[in-house]
Amino acid sequence: MLTLTDVTKRYGTHTLFSGLSLQVEPGEFVALVGESGMGKSTLLNCMAGLDTLDAGEVSIDGTPISRLPEDAQARFRRRHLGFIFQAFHVLPHLSVADNVALPLLLLGEPDAERVAQALAAVGLAALGPRLPQTLSGGQLQRVAIARALVHRPRLILADEPTGNLDPSTAGQVMDVLVGQVHRHRAACVLVTHSRSAAARADRVLRLTPRGIEAGPSTADPAAPAHG
Amino acid sequence: MAEAPREASLWQHLRHLAWPELRHQPWRNLTALLAVVLGVALAFSVHLINESALSEFSAAVRGVNGQADFELRAQREGFDEALYDQVSHHPGIALASPVVDIETLAMVDGQRVPVRVLGLDALVAPQLNPDLLPRPDPGADRLALLQPDAAFPNDSARQQLGLPGVPGDTPPTLALQQGLETVPLRVQGRVGLGGEPVVVMDIAGAQERFGWLGRLSRIEVRLQPGADRAQILGALALPPGVRAVDPEEAAQRVSNLSRAYRVNLTVLALVALFTGSFLVFSVLSLSVARRTAQFALLGVLGLSARERLRLVLAESALLGLAGSLLGLGLGTALADAALRLLAGDLGGGYFPGVTPTLRFSPWAALLYGSLGVGAALVGGWLPARMAQGLAPAQALKGLGGHGGDAHRPWAGPALLGLGGLLALSPPVGGMPLGAYLSVACLLLGGIACVPAGVAWLLGAAAGARQARWLQRHPLVLLATARARHQRHTATIAVAGVVASLALSVALTVMVSSFRHAVVDWLDTVLPADLYVRSSVSAASDNVFLPPALVQAVTQLPGVARLETQRVVHLQLDPAQPSVTLLARPLPDPARDLPLVAMPLPPLPGEVNVYVSEAMASVYGAGPGTTLTLPLVPGRPPEQVQVRGVWRDYARQSGSIMMAAADFERLTGDDRANDLALWLQPGATAAEVQAGIREAVRRSGGGEAAEALLEFSSPGEIRAISLRIFDRSFAVTYWLQAVAIAIGLFGVAASFSAQVLARRKEFGLLTHLGLTRRQILALVAGEGAVWSATGALLGWALGLAVSVVLVKVVNPQSFHWTMDLAPPWPRLALLCLMVLAAGTLTAWLSAWRVGAKDAAKSVKEDW
Repeated sequence: MLTLTDVTKRYGTHTLFSGLSLQVEPGEFVALVGESGMGKSTLLNCMAGLDTLDAGEVSIDGTPISRLPEDAQARFRRRHLGFIFQAFHVLPHLSVADNVALPLLLLGEPDAERVAQALAAVGLAALGPRLPQTLSGGQLQRVAIARALVHRPRLILADEPTGNLDPSTAGQVMDVLVGQVHRHRAACVLVTHSRSAAARADRVLRLTPRGIEAGPSTADPAAPAHG
Repeated sequence: MAEAPREASLWQHLRHLAWPELRHQPWRNLTALLAVVLGVALAFSVHLINESALSEFSAAVRGVNGQADFELRAQREGFDEALYDQVSHHPGIALASPVVDIETLAMVDGQRVPVRVLGLDALVAPQLNPDLLPRPDPGADRLALLQPDAAFPNDSARQQLGLPGVPGDTPPTLALQQGLETVPLRVQGRVGLGGEPVVVMDIAGAQERFGWLGRLSRIEVRLQPGADRAQILGALALPPGVRAVDPEEAAQRVSNLSRAYRVNLTVLALVALFTGSFLVFSVLSLSVARRTAQFALLGVLGLSARERLRLVLAESALLGLAGSLLGLGLGTALADAALRLLAGDLGGGYFPGVTPTLRFSPWAALLYGSLGVGAALVGGWLPARMAQGLAPAQALKGLGGHGGDAHRPWAGPALLGLGGLLALSPPVGGMPLGAYLSVACLLLGGIACVPAGVAWLLGAAAGARQARWLQRHPLVLLATARARHQRHTATIAVAGVVASLALSVALTVMVSSFRHAVVDWLDTVLPADLYVRSSVSAASDNVFLPPALVQAVTQLPGVARLETQRVVHLQLDPAQPSVTLLARPLPDPARDLPLVAMPLPPLPGEVNVYVSEAMASVYGAGPGTTLTLPLVPGRPPEQVQVRGVWRDYARQSGSIMMAAADFERLTGDDRANDLALWLQPGATAAEVQAGIREAVRRSGGGEAAEALLEFSSPGEIRAISLRIFDRSFAVTYWLQAVAIAIGLFGVAASFSAQVLARRKEFGLLTHLGLTRRQILALVAGEGAVWSATGALLGWALGLAVSVVLVKVVNPQSFHWTMDLAPPWPRLALLCLMVLAAGTLTAWLSAWRVGAKDAAKSVKEDW
């Protein structure tokens, strides 16, 4: 489904990662861990066509997204990808329902019923008309999950979605995320520092200076016991 | 014992919190600084130029009058010199200096140069003012000052008349105009008098050569110590038409005459400062918006709301202080340059012949510097309140956090209402102060209405049908949702546009209405085919067309009809400039004059006159009133009946139109200053002009006299008038350009900062699949919505302000009315330009932030 082939990214003379290859199957939930500064988020951006590669290729369902023109990349993201961020990123001037509806609106396929279903699926059925300012952090992240899934994308890219949440709320959010990803049979790449979050994935990969390695080390200082 | 915690001073906050921000955004802050600098510089330089010119003019007037206690002056030119004997022999009078004061023209290389001739008693006048002492040139007769044809010009006259600085073997001669003849004078020395060009000569010579035999212009009087002026004046029993006036009154008259012009120019210059404060508002608002997270963190760390308010106010005060200091320096330099290049005349022509030196006033500097700081503080007030009202917790979560909407919905309409009421107030001391305040209230009220205006305009998008449409157009939905939600941001973005466009529209409508009125007026007052004038400055007893010549012109081939016009000056009120009496045939005043309203029917057996609007408002001489005019020196004044009011855009101090027959009957004066000629079919103006020149030559005037005549067609007069008009108002076009530029910069600064502040939002939209083009379209769309709102409000507000300018400021300042004539196509173009520029500016702001850069911003903490 998602294929990375000999992917290399440099910043000037500094090579962030080099020759990375990876295959993620449809419906697979993959956690990517590693020390800060290894380039996890950059790799996620490269997967989405939001950052350029210096070598290699990223393809999704056979479409070489890294080689597409900028506009085509944007259209591809709009249709096939969903994003969840550490800092929620909901638009404060849109209602909760409008925030969730955004991907559908951008696709030109407004569907209030599907928005309601998405909100109900994350436990926020009654909060659609409210403005984001009135929601807690956990609720905001659930809005973000609903938004990431409402247009039924093939791939979800989640960048530390529990990073701003307490362990209990983080656990609830992960429950929702994993449940919804599996329900929609979407693939998901989760970048996280949280051992407990990573533990919910089907497969855990570790980004190191040597490349992508399988499984986190229990002694990994970047993998806290909670949260 | 525990030590009380020390609190950081405001200065420390400025150093540690504000200074890094200033360094981080130097160009934006520099632009706000520049706006204050320009505003203060323009206003201060206008003040310095006007004050310097006025001081110089007053000094020159005082110089001519010397140290007299008062002067005896006729209301019309001249009085019987017999009065001098009576005055000089009065025991209470220490000194009496007779003066003949003549304004005429000198011929220099075929050109006419205005010059003032003072006929003095050379043994008496210098006792009142030593600068009037004629000093013969080396080699000239020591008693030349008593010779009737000896002239003693001052330095200014020498320069204007092209006289050599060092006397040669043969004294140069001057040719001065008297009627259509020239009076030759020999330059025998000089006087040390400053100011305008003046030629001093012996009083007897002046009387003889300029037709003033037996008459004086004035007598300057110095009293004996302890003498009672009122008692002496009572004893003198002054003849009708002669008054005792203080020497200061002459300077006061000039001050009064030019005051409206000076005040309006200053107000116009303050417009730049006004728009400057909007730029400060924009820059500081955006600075606060950009530093929301910083202020929120500082709030959490213990910086109180009051301290945040004080910090932003201190920033604006510092900006104002620096801008004011630089502005005062620049203003002084500008004024100095203008005085050197323009000699103190800023287009109004109120200070002829004066070459003033700069007079710096520390008090004025303090006033204008304070205005600069005040403007910056006014601009910084709302941003400071924004920083004060911040909700730190919300702001730290990236969810806005500006505590509530600080906007008071009643403020805008209340200010608009107050503006309307103030426009109805009468002038204060002859100045439209209420109208100026009204304009300020209208502008501020209009800007305060921006949030409500945005809500109203976008309210249309909130209906169910529109909502369905918006669902299918997500970019429009995003733009309108944000604009509705962020109304206070819209205010910041478009306040500058509203203010600058309103001022531009108002000035455009005012100038256009005035120009339109002047064109209509010229059409009415210039009905003839050809005009002949004895000089450009017509109203003088020494510059006229002799009756014999007028008679000869009447009989010239090609002349179908001829009308004469006599122009004389009357001093009705010593504190006011003299008014102009125009005498010409008036068979049908309703047709012949540009009347404001239908006149009252003429009263049989009475002298009926028609007065200008200035007469009606300054002297209360409305239709149906009676005026007392001192028409003939030494004779009792005449009572005349005012039957109508006409528009006279040429004479601001007031004018009276009387039928020529009445004037001749009352005064016996049948001379003319101007001729209006209607040509016979087939006759050309050139042929008639040649005929008139020939008639002048036959009358013995010679070539010099020919040169004293001026021929003009109505087209030429109209073209010259409109050229002068356009030159006078050129400064308003520049101010409009500056105002629009400042307004657009406000939009640019606003959108740049908002785009930076919204990078995370754009980053999210990029992740969701919006292309860069779509994000550009989104921002440009928002720019278009806000610019359109600003343009619409600015346009409406500008029209309201123009009504105040045209209907209140103009009549109260200059005593003339006009109809409102908005140039609709030009106004529409102005609005479209602002709309296009606002949209483009927003687009450019977004273009600077690449989509990929925005995408990365979702990871940024700040």
